[in-house]
Amino acid sequence: MTEEIILDVQNVTKQFPGITALSNVSIQFKRGEIHGLCGENGAGKSTLMKILAGVYPYGTYDGSVFYEGQELKLTSNSIKEARAEGIAIVYQELTLVPDMTVGENIFLGKEITENGVINWDKTYAECRKILEHYKLDVNPNDVVKHLGVGKMQMVEIAKALSENAKVLILDEPTSALTEAEIDKLMEILESLQEKGITSIYISHKLEEFFRITDSITVLRDGKTVITAPTKELSLEKLVSYMVGREMKERFPHSTRKPNGTIFEVQNLHAIDPEEPSREILKGVTFDLKRGEILGIAGLMGSGRTELVTTIFGEMGKITSGKMLLEGKEINIKSAKDAMEKGISLVPEDRKKQGLVLIQSILNNLSLPNLYSFSKTWRIDKNQELKSCLQQVKNLSIKISNIENEVNSLSGGNQQKVVIGKWLMTIPKILIMDDPTRGVDVGAKYEIYKLMNELAEKGVSIIMISSELEEVLGMSDRVMVMHEGRSNGILDITEATQEKIMALATGIA
Amino acid sequence: MESTSVVTSKGTTNAVGKWFRRNLQTSMIIIMMIVIWIFFSILTKGAFIGSQNISNLFRQMTVTSILAVGMVLVIVTGGIDLAVGKFAGFVSVIVAFLQAFVWYKLIPDQPLLAATLSVIAGLSVGILVGMLEGYIVSYLGVPAFITTLGFQWIWNGAILLVTGGRTIPANQPYFSYIAQGYLPLWLGWVVAAVVIAALFYTMFNSRAQKRRYGFATNKLSLDMAKTIALSLVILFYVYMVNQYNGVQVPVLLMVIVAFIMAYLGTNTPFGRHAYALGGNMEAARLSGINIKRNVFLIFVLMGLLCGVAGIVLASYVGYGTISAGGGYELDAIASCILGGTSPLGGSGTVFGAIIGSLIMASLTNGLQLLNVTPAWQYIVKGAILVGAVYIDVYFKKNR
Ligand SMILES: Nc1ncnc2c1ncn2[C@@H]1O[C@H](COP(=O)(O)OP(=O)(O)OP(=O)(O)O)[C@@H](O)[C@H]1O
Ligand SMILES: [Mg+2]
Repeated sequence: MTEEIILDVQNVTKQFPGITALSNVSIQFKRGEIHGLCGENGAGKSTLMKILAGVYPYGTYDGSVFYEGQELKLTSNSIKEARAEGIAIVYQELTLVPDMTVGENIFLGKEITENGVINWDKTYAECRKILEHYKLDVNPNDVVKHLGVGKMQMVEIAKALSENAKVLILDEPTSALTEAEIDKLMEILESLQEKGITSIYISHKLEEFFRITDSITVLRDGKTVITAPTKELSLEKLVSYMVGREMKERFPHSTRKPNGTIFEVQNLHAIDPEEPSREILKGVTFDLKRGEILGIAGLMGSGRTELVTTIFGEMGKITSGKMLLEGKEINIKSAKDAMEKGISLVPEDRKKQGLVLIQSILNNLSLPNLYSFSKTWRIDKNQELKSCLQQVKNLSIKISNIENEVNSLSGGNQQKVVIGKWLMTIPKILIMDDPTRGVDVGAKYEIYKLMNELAEKGVSIIMISSELEEVLGMSDRVMVMHEGRSNGILDITEATQEKIMALATGIA
Repeated sequence: MESTSVVTSKGTTNAVGKWFRRNLQTSMIIIMMIVIWIFFSILTKGAFIGSQNISNLFRQMTVTSILAVGMVLVIVTGGIDLAVGKFAGFVSVIVAFLQAFVWYKLIPDQPLLAATLSVIAGLSVGILVGMLEGYIVSYLGVPAFITTLGFQWIWNGAILLVTGGRTIPANQPYFSYIAQGYLPLWLGWVVAAVVIAALFYTMFNSRAQKRRYGFATNKLSLDMAKTIALSLVILFYVYMVNQYNGVQVPVLLMVIVAFIMAYLGTNTPFGRHAYALGGNMEAARLSGINIKRNVFLIFVLMGLLCGVAGIVLASYVGYGTISAGGGYELDAIASCILGGTSPLGGSGTVFGAIIGSLIMASLTNGLQLLNVTPAWQYIVKGAILVGAVYIDVYFKKNR
């Protein structure tokens, strides 16, 4: 491999009102390498990448960035300039237009035109070529909103690569992908590397770094802690560089003893009310004990999210089967209904379902809890502030001011706000749909600890997770779903990755 | 000794500066208003700022302001109400009709009772229609834009039916007092004193509360500065209008309505839910908010405020006519947007809308004083609306 430096970040400092996101960061990226970038939530990873991609143009930060030996001065139309230079980025949050097709999305902003009119045939032909080239199993004519999150992520990558990129930045590309999709992504990255393309790879799934990267840089509180070849590092070392101390275990210990059934689902069938011929649940049966953490595993599209949102009264129309809460049959019509019965849901998609992005951190945290802050019809704002500040502390959410827009937080910290707001509702049953997506190891540990504490207090938790390790590390029992059915429930003492995968793929 | 006082005053200036930056939108629009006032005062050689004109100006803005104050919440939830102008007009002709043709037959020679009944009738019509519109929009799912556009036409027709094309007098005693009356001069001062006392009480009370919860309070000097500034504005206003005839009843009414709505919007779960659902409907629903009921109630409130506006309108102009309320909906919407309400929903303040409509009224009033022809009045107002929103966008982007 050549040792040529393609991107040289020198003493970059970036400030936001009240917070220094990056201070004096210097990193060198070699041509053709896969360079991992890791750090806690809010460490400044995305901010640095946004500087490289021209989101924060030249002059809005201090220090300099050299690209192929020249100082990078992205100014007026900086995002487009960066793209033209060959720096492509896949953002942490999806940026596709949901109502457009895959083809339209990939060529958005660089439409293939003939005399000022878009040539659709050529567009779709080109698009198909790109998709085939990277062996992506997506139809260019599909409307994006009908794709799963994993496929959307693939389309994002195809979009970034459709313009001969020399540097590809991937900001947490795998946070929503399944194992199989991750494997595919790894293959793609390796084939890009063979072509001499440099990739910068951000993730909170640290194992991935050891599968794919050549070197790793750790950021902490906006400063570079270390850059080292991957082979000189270990998982433990990486974690301690990230959090600044040693972490002995990934999952905290718990002494909880689940007892007595609180909630039962019996042979639940449900259809999609907008498309009644589509059955989204085809027979789900399980029970949940008081103070238990029940993990739900399954592949993307196995109906996990559909199951919990249907229980929550927000998605499927139940056609048969029943639900029993504390022995009594219940019928939940809406989220409000569910919450009144003591069931809360931490939804999957923080941007779309979890947060009101234009509002403050405070308002977001208090939203489901306003009645608990108001003894009369009036909100006690001091009480509100106090409870929310307490929650910020409990979850160690990194903020500079609770009145700031939640949009200004880093992705992982936004996720903590989402968890925090529903934790404050003090439910009997807490459903969490992929709760630690995009959360750093240290914070994950904090969230796990909180979950354990809740369970010890008698709250029952249903946790969906795509990370098998997390399911195995946290659950008392694991329910595995396959094609809309519950395909078996394993006690944690007998559950293994292999058994879960066998059930999830329908082999067992 | 001297040095400490310098330090505190500097600290206060800093704190004021910080407040301005935090409330950029509000500060901007207040500054804009002051600039417009100074501009007109100079051009009219002081006539604009004279007590009679100030008095008129505030009265001219009342109907639109009352509508704008309701419109803020409608727009915040991501809706729009194009029917408010003509609906207020409809209420005004209904009320005029009752005043002119009904009460004198049923209850002759009882003007106070008649006026009271008219008010009750106007408010009831407002609430009922609000319920109907709200039901159609939130429970039947017809978009607000379409529903209210339809209602605008319906009111056009209904007004024609009620008036039969005639002008109906509504200038009876007591009823006229609602929008043409003045508080006795001494009562004006009493009201001012009470309000100022309440302001100080609230300020000290809220500081005490904060301390009880262990929160840092603002600098006392900053809170004092804010409260004193507000008190001075009130005193100045009462002094000005007392030079003429006194505090007008409709202006007092408008202030009360605005205060209630502002309080509702920021201090109750209902109001906060409205802002949340306008910002992200799905997140709001998953937070357990009853979206349909919330939107429904907002339309009921809007209907009630249309009722209030309609009554004030009838009393103010002294008759009900077929043109009553025409175009007021656009004035109300413009006031909201000028006052920083996002047309996309999710953000906006009642205070901003009030200042927005004060700016609109000032423009009309000032241009009239300068004898600018109606044609140019429209052109100038349109240009200023767009320009003002651009300035706002510009500052937000370059913050
Ligand atoms: N537009 C903004 N305005 C104000 N502060 C911001 C803004 N964008 C980011 N920040 C702050 O800068 C810091 C770094 O954020 P950044 O998004 O780079 O973190 P990150 O390392 O990508 O974290 P994560 O792993 O959670 O995605 C955070 O403290 C964040 O709150
Ligand atoms: Mg990030």
